[in-house]
Amino acid sequence: MNLLAHIGGSLRFRVMALVLATTVSALLLSAAGLVVYDLRAYERLWTNDLATTAEVLARSSAPALAFNDRRTAAGDLSVLKARNRVVAAALYTRDGELFATYVRAGAQAPAFPQHPQADAHFVEGGELVVLRRVVEGGEVIGTVYLRALFSPFERLRDYLLILGGVMVASLAAAAVFSSWLQDAVTRPILEVARVARGVMQTRDYSLRAPKTTEDEIGQLVDAFNAMLAEAGRRAEAMREADRRKDEFLATLAHELRNPLAPLRNALEILRVAGDDPQRAQKAREMMQRQLAQMVRLVDDLLDVSRITTGKLAVRKGAVELQGIVRDALESVRHFIESRRHVLELQLAPEPIMVDADRTRLAQVFSNLLNNAAKYTPPGGHISLVVEREGQEGVVRVRDTGIGIASDSMAAIFDMFVQLDRSLERSQAGLGVGLTLARRLVQLHGGELSVHSEGPGRGSEFVVRLPLGPAAPSSQPRAPAEALPAPLARRILIADDNVDYASSMGQLLQAKGHDVRVVHDGAQALETAVQFRPDVAFLDIGMPRIHGYELARRLRAQPLTARCLLVAVTGWGQEDDRRRAREAGFDRHLVKPVELPQVEAVIDSIPVSTL
Amino acid sequence: MSVRPARWLFVWAALLVSNAAVPAQDPAAIEAPEAGIKAAYLYKFAAYVDWPGNAATGSQAFVIGVMDADDVAQELERIVPGRSVHDRPVEVRRVREGQSTAGLHMLFIGREGDVRTALRGPEQPGLLVVTDNPRGLELGSTINFVVAGEHLGFEVSLESAQRHGLRISSRMLNVARRVVPKA
Repeated sequence: MNLLAHIGGSLRFRVMALVLATTVSALLLSAAGLVVYDLRAYERLWTNDLATTAEVLARSSAPALAFNDRRTAAGDLSVLKARNRVVAAALYTRDGELFATYVRAGAQAPAFPQHPQADAHFVEGGELVVLRRVVEGGEVIGTVYLRALFSPFERLRDYLLILGGVMVASLAAAAVFSSWLQDAVTRPILEVARVARGVMQTRDYSLRAPKTTEDEIGQLVDAFNAMLAEAGRRAEAMREADRRKDEFLATLAHELRNPLAPLRNALEILRVAGDDPQRAQKAREMMQRQLAQMVRLVDDLLDVSRITTGKLAVRKGAVELQGIVRDALESVRHFIESRRHVLELQLAPEPIMVDADRTRLAQVFSNLLNNAAKYTPPGGHISLVVEREGQEGVVRVRDTGIGIASDSMAAIFDMFVQLDRSLERSQAGLGVGLTLARRLVQLHGGELSVHSEGPGRGSEFVVRLPLGPAAPSSQPRAPAEALPAPLARRILIADDNVDYASSMGQLLQAKGHDVRVVHDGAQALETAVQFRPDVAFLDIGMPRIHGYELARRLRAQPLTARCLLVAVTGWGQEDDRRRAREAGFDRHLVKPVELPQVEAVIDSIPVSTL
Repeated sequence: MSVRPARWLFVWAALLVSNAAVPAQDPAAIEAPEAGIKAAYLYKFAAYVDWPGNAATGSQAFVIGVMDADDVAQELERIVPGRSVHDRPVEVRRVREGQSTAGLHMLFIGREGDVRTALRGPEQPGLLVVTDNPRGLELGSTINFVVAGEHLGFEVSLESAQRHGLRISSRMLNVARRVVPKA
C-alpha cells in the first residue's frame, strides 16, 4: 500500500492502479504456472506423439520391409509431409542397413545413424530423435528412425506472445471495469470529500453528502452527515454561548456603572449639605442601597467564575431548614413588600434538619424569592412552603407571575439566560441566579426543579434536600445576642489597597479600637513588633513581604507570637486556606471583607488574652 | 607399422580358394539365394492372409505344400523350425502332381510345375495357391512371384482369394506389383 500511496493524488487513480496491479500480478502468476507446467509436459507429450507416429509407420511399412519394397517404403515415409515438425525419417532393415529415407522439403538431410539402436528416444542438437523396431509376426524386421524439431524456447516465446496479448486485453478490460466501478465505490467518497471541502471553506454545516448505497460507504456517509450535524449544533451552541457572554458583559458593565451616578450625586450632596442632617441621612441611605446592589452584583460575578472553573464549594453543617428560610426571607422581605405582593408562609412545625451550608442555602432561597417577586406583576401572590416529605426536606416557592413557556423550561437554568428582557435594568441582575441556585442545591445532594402551567400562569420552584442527622443543636446563629459593650482592641491592618485599609481603619477606630494601618509587608512587620496588636488582618498579596512570609516571621517573634493572625485573600479555595494555616494564620477571610465579618473576628478573641 | 607376413599369406590363400570354388558350383546352388527369398516370402505371406474359421484352426499345424520346387522346399524346411504362423507350428510338405492337397493351407507350385493341371478340379476353400509363373494369376493362383529388375516381387488376385474364401491384408497389397480386383 506504500507503493500505492505514492501513486497519484486522487483516490480515482489509486483505485485504478490497485485494479491494474491486481490484474497484472494475477495474470503473471497464472501464466508463469502454466508455462512451467507446459514446458515440463512438452517433452513428454512430444516424445509420446513422435513414438506413436513411429509405431504407426513401423506397422504400415512392415510389409515393404518384409518384401523388400523400397519404393513403397519411401512412399510410406512420405506421408510425414503432413507433420511439418518432422525433419527426417528413415527405415532400416533387420541388419541395420538404410532401407528408405525421408527428408522434409527445404530441410538439410541429417547424418542418418549407422546400425541404430532399437527403441530409444533422445534429444540431439535441438532435435528429438525416436527409434522404434518394426516387428511383424513376432520377429524384428527393421527399425524406424524419426527426427523432429524440439524447441521449448520457441514454445516459450509463443507463450509470451500470447501472454502479452492477453495481458493487454485484460488491462484494457480491467481499466474499463474499474472506471465503471468508480461510480459504486469512489464517487460517494469523492462526494463526501467535496462536501467536507465545502464545509471547511464556507463553514456551512447544513451541507450534507448524498447517500447512494447501503454498504459501508453508506454508513460512512451517514456518520459523516451525523458528525456535520453535531459540529453544526456545537458551532451554533458556541455562537449562542458567545452571544450570551457578550450580552452578559454588556449587562455587567451597565449594572456596575448604574450605581456610580447616584453614589457620586450622594457624595456631592454630603459635601454641600454640610449642616443639614436630614439631607445627609438621605444621601447616606441612597449610597448604602447602591453599594449593596454593587456588592450583590460582584458577588454574583465571583460565583459565576467559581461555577465556570468548578471551584464552587460548600461548607456543610447540621442546620434547621426553617431557620435558613427565615434568613432568606428577611433579606428579600423589603423587596416583596415594595412590590405590594401578598406573601403566604407555611413552615412545618417540627424542625427539619439538613446537612448544609447555611449561607449558601439562604442564597438559594433568597434568589428564588427574589425571582418570584421580580417576575410577578405588583400586587401578586407568593407562597413559601417548607415541609418534610419522606427523607427529604422540601421548599416550594410559588408565584402568580409571568410563568414559563414549556419550551424554555430547561433553558432557564443555563448561564446568562434571562426570561424577560423588558424588565428594568435595576431589577434585571446578571442572569446567573438560577444557574448558581441549581448548582448549589446539587452540591447539597438535592435537586431544584421548576413547574409552570405556561406563560402568564405563574410558576413554582421546588427545592428538595436530603435530611441530615437529626441532632438539633444550638446554632451558632446568635452571636449578636446580648452584646456587651465592645472591648477596645489593638488592631493592625496591612493591605496595599490604601482606600480599603484606611476606611476600615477609621471605622474600627470610630468603634473605639486602637488601630494601625500599613500598606506593605515590611512596614507591617516593623509596626507589629512595636505595636504588639491583639489581632492583625494581613493581605496576602502585599509588596516587599507577602502575607505568608509575614505570618511566619510574626509567629517567630516572641512579642507577636500570640497575636491573632487573619489572612485576607481574593480566593477562598481549600488550597489557599491550607497554605494560610501552614503559614501560621488563625483565620481566613475572603475579599471583599466587610465590617460585620471583621467585628465578628474581633469579638471572638478570648478575654483572657487581654 | 609392422606387417606380419603370416596374415597376408592367409588372406591371399582365401582369395585363391574362393575364385576356384565359384565355377565348381551346380546350377541349383546358384539359384539358392532366389529360392531362399521365395521361401522367406512364402512364410511371410501367411502373416498377411486370413484363413476362414475352420481352415485356420482345424488342424494342429500350419501346412505349406511345395510342388515342383525342391530348392524352395528345402529352404522352407530350413527356415520354419521354431517359427509359427497364426500361433501354430509350421509344417512343410512336398507334394507331387496328382497327390491330394487336402489339409494344406498354402500350396506353392514351382516354376516348372504345370499350374493348370495342378489346379484342375474343384477349388479347395481355404487353400492359398502361390505360383511362380508369368500367367499364374490367369491360371487361377492367388499370389504369383514376378521379377522386376533385380527385385523379387509378387502380384495378387483378390478375385482368386475371394473364391478360396481368403482375405488378404491391405498392408500387403500396398507392396504388390499388381492387384487383380474382385469379380
